[in-house]
Amino acid sequence: MPPAAAPSDAELILAVIERDDRRAFAEIVRRHQSQVRTVLRRLTRGDMALADDLAQETFILAWRNLRHFRFEARFSTWIYRIAFNAWQSEARKRREVLLDSDDEKPALEVAAAEEGVDAVSRIDLERALSGLSEGERASIAACYYADLSHEEAAEALGLPLGTVKTHILRAKAKLRARLASSEDKT
Amino acid sequence: MSDNRNDDWLDRILRDDARIALEDTGFTERVLGALPASYKPPNAWMKPMLVIGSTALGGLLATFIAPIGPTVIEGATELARLQFTPAAGALLAMTATLIVAGWVLTED
Repeated sequence: MPPAAAPSDAELILAVIERDDRRAFAEIVRRHQSQVRTVLRRLTRGDMALADDLAQETFILAWRNLRHFRFEARFSTWIYRIAFNAWQSEARKRREVLLDSDDEKPALEVAAAEEGVDAVSRIDLERALSGLSEGERASIAACYYADLSHEEAAEALGLPLGTVKTHILRAKAKLRARLASSEDKT
Repeated sequence: MSDNRNDDWLDRILRDDARIALEDTGFTERVLGALPASYKPPNAWMKPMLVIGSTALGGLLATFIAPIGPTVIEGATELARLQFTPAAGALLAMTATLIVAGWVLTED
């Protein structure tokens, strides 16, 4: 007998809404945790602890609001919107706290210790990404890491479509320059 | 290198980085442990019914206990006769307040 096909996201969501099914929600989290955490790591400049806290908050908010999910949209698009909102509120709070701080270096050293072989090139990329403005970084995270279209990214980030496109163009120009210069150094 | 080739190279680096899967390492368990006790939200009609019910009960008690009571009853009688006196106006205002409270609560 062939193995049963894995339930779709929509089926899992219905199981949560109708039967309060935690195993179904656990499966949703398992499927999406990697991408959501990766996106948040890029947004938080490699701060893994903060990214995981925000990812946890994202999934808890998703659980609370699942009944508002419209099934015509992709679940991943919906959950990224929650993740971006969580990051934006956290960034607003931190800006208030860090107003007097002139040192906001990313937690790259921790990443290097844990990532192993590819750490050097990933650190170059992470460093290059952390040099972008928040809007540019968020747009890159949305379009490349969350795999959203420009339109979906604009909606998720609450930005005009033209602004997202401009952010992407500028971000890519900066990344090209920074990554090229770090290649030259090696 | 042309811009297009540069873009391909950069796109590849970004997409490769995005594809690296993170191990769960207990993340799902932590999320499940932090979930509220039950998914099911409390009945949506409970809150407005409680507020409107208690407001209405308060209004009734005020009608029969406070000195304003006879005025409200008078207002109802006059309103039934289509006489728009101040007492009838007060009764209409109380009814409107209840309706607005109910509407605001159900929109909440």
